[in-house]
Amino acid sequence: MDRRSFMKVSGGLALGGLPWYRSFAADADGFPMGCATPMSGVFAEIGKYSLIGAQAAALDVPEVLGKPTRIVSIDSEGNPGVAVRKVREAMQRTGMRYVSGALLSSEAIAVGKEMNRAGGVAFVGAGADEVTGSECNRATFRWSSTTYGAIEQTVRPLARLMPQARRWYTITPQYVFGDALLNNAKRIFSEMGIEHVGNSYHSLTESEFSGYLTNAMAARPDVLLILNYGAQSTATLRQAVSFGMKQKMTILMAYSDGVTQFHSLGKDIVEDVYFGCQYWHGVDAPTNKHFVELCRRNFKVTPPYNTALTYISTRLTLEAINRVGSADPAGIAKALEGWKYDGLTGPEEIRAFDHQGLKDYYLMKGKPAAEVSDPDEMAVIVSSGESTIPVEQSLCKMAGA
Amino acid sequence: MSLYLLQIFNGVGIGMLYFLIAVGLSIIFGLLRFVNFAHGAFFMVGAYLAYAVSVSLGMGFWSALAAVPALVFVLAVALERVLLRRAYRLSHMAQILLTFGLSMILQELAIVIWGTDGLHMPTPDALGGVVEWGGFIYPKYRLFVMAFTAALAGLLWWLLEGTRLGAVVRAGSEFGDMTALLGHDIPRVFMLVFGLGAALAALAGVLAAPIRGVEPFMGLDGLSIAFVVVVIGGMGSFAGALVGGLLVGVLQSVLSSVWPEMARPVIYLCMALVLLTRPYGLFGRG
Repeated sequence: MDRRSFMKVSGGLALGGLPWYRSFAADADGFPMGCATPMSGVFAEIGKYSLIGAQAAALDVPEVLGKPTRIVSIDSEGNPGVAVRKVREAMQRTGMRYVSGALLSSEAIAVGKEMNRAGGVAFVGAGADEVTGSECNRATFRWSSTTYGAIEQTVRPLARLMPQARRWYTITPQYVFGDALLNNAKRIFSEMGIEHVGNSYHSLTESEFSGYLTNAMAARPDVLLILNYGAQSTATLRQAVSFGMKQKMTILMAYSDGVTQFHSLGKDIVEDVYFGCQYWHGVDAPTNKHFVELCRRNFKVTPPYNTALTYISTRLTLEAINRVGSADPAGIAKALEGWKYDGLTGPEEIRAFDHQGLKDYYLMKGKPAAEVSDPDEMAVIVSSGESTIPVEQSLCKMAGA
Repeated sequence: MSLYLLQIFNGVGIGMLYFLIAVGLSIIFGLLRFVNFAHGAFFMVGAYLAYAVSVSLGMGFWSALAAVPALVFVLAVALERVLLRRAYRLSHMAQILLTFGLSMILQELAIVIWGTDGLHMPTPDALGGVVEWGGFIYPKYRLFVMAFTAALAGLLWWLLEGTRLGAVVRAGSEFGDMTALLGHDIPRVFMLVFGLGAALAALAGVLAAPIRGVEPFMGLDGLSIAFVVVVIGGMGSFAGALVGGLLVGVLQSVLSSVWPEMARPVIYLCMALVLLTRPYGLFGRG
């Protein structure tokens, strides 16, 4: 290599290395709090709102142990392998020991295990009950209501509200989350003497639901219970309404995203449909009012579920660290266990036994389209309550304790 | 009407939309021998532009149906002129890399402009509601999509098989140099064909938007369906795209009753089976 080439290569390496140096220098400032969530790919919508929640929590808890709170954004890409690798890298690079965020079920389980192994705390939201069930561990906490609670607080109250609706049809995604919802629904059908007139399983890649809806119409149910989630539930409901099913039966989507999903559907589709929601911005609770105002003022959004869960899980983690006065993860996990606090849904608690959040779940109903002037107010709460799988039925054995 | 007859009818409806998504990809490959992985992105851009014209600008669905294919035609022609034309003589792998990169750029641009949230595009008022006849219930809008796509298929067939322009396009794809020597501007013909293929994908996006909504990753779904259809029907075959689309649609719909959890995976199994037994597809030529 001649001198000129050597100088070019050296200069290039130096310039290329500069941002790395700056990154390391920046990482040394503040108290690192991770927010792991899909920021890219088909689940990027989750990450966008989840990160806002973490940033909102940092506004409420600006200092941790005398250092400014610094949110470390980790793009999990909707892939458990990537999520674990990036969390591990962030721990090494920044010294981060705490992570929150809305994750896919497989990601949440993987990240929780990694934090348990590496010595940290993961406070996440995810659909799979395994997070605080068969895969529970000392380091992992979950705010989202269980599938048990989601079905108890939607199917049961709706069945009581409409005692004449005796025939129910279900549409279910064929994986663990869908099966958990379906099994809980079947249990309630059996208890209440409801006839389950049919179920259509579908794959996780499905986007065309007209065939399943044709099956449902042929079964002539009184209620169509939609048990899929996210974009699939949006497509199912949109197509069900286009087939005129809303005029022929009651439709319940048991696990909805709430306000962001209502925006995607539009008020004409939301009208008269029942939805199950983990969170609603209109809940009359002091912490929620403060949170909604915080998000609207600073981020110009009405917070949906993913923002709410990341906000409360980040805030609780940071407050626990300040309360304990130490950043020792084992001590913080202990402090979180059994904590009763004023949450976004009212009084909430973290069950010590399995680290499951105990909070309300909501049954909502779409308002008449003509009455909707604010797109954030397309639905009203019909009923709410907290139901969690009883301790004696839980599969949690606290591995890694 | 029996459940299976209903499912077959519904499958024809799904299949016509699949045909429209796939036919542009098939035409571009058949005539240009160009593998266009950006085809799904044109489908997605069509849906977003339909939302912009119909909802954001308040001009309604019919304006979107007329304007969006024309807008995407212009976009595709410009891209062909400045970028893709250079890849015609490259390997298929290079074409895939180039067009896949282009699709990522278009997808990210859509995210920058419209965000990641799904958008709702309402069905036009005139086509709202359902048609009921005995036990038969079907959305008016889907019936319109079926009729519109059938008419368009006839028009496309006439354009490619019954006109002088179609003859030049077909001759150009088989004997490019000879056709050029006869005085025809082959690069220009290819550019128009590429624009037509992209405009058809965009038209499918406009028609699909009220059925499935608009979101930035719908292009990937559209691309996978388009490839399944053209692989089954045969790359470059107009009839293959039509038969492949209908076959996939009917299969998917009927299986929704018979074996629901396999309704989607079976279309990929069907594609694999065709590849093993007839590598050039049902109507493709070797």
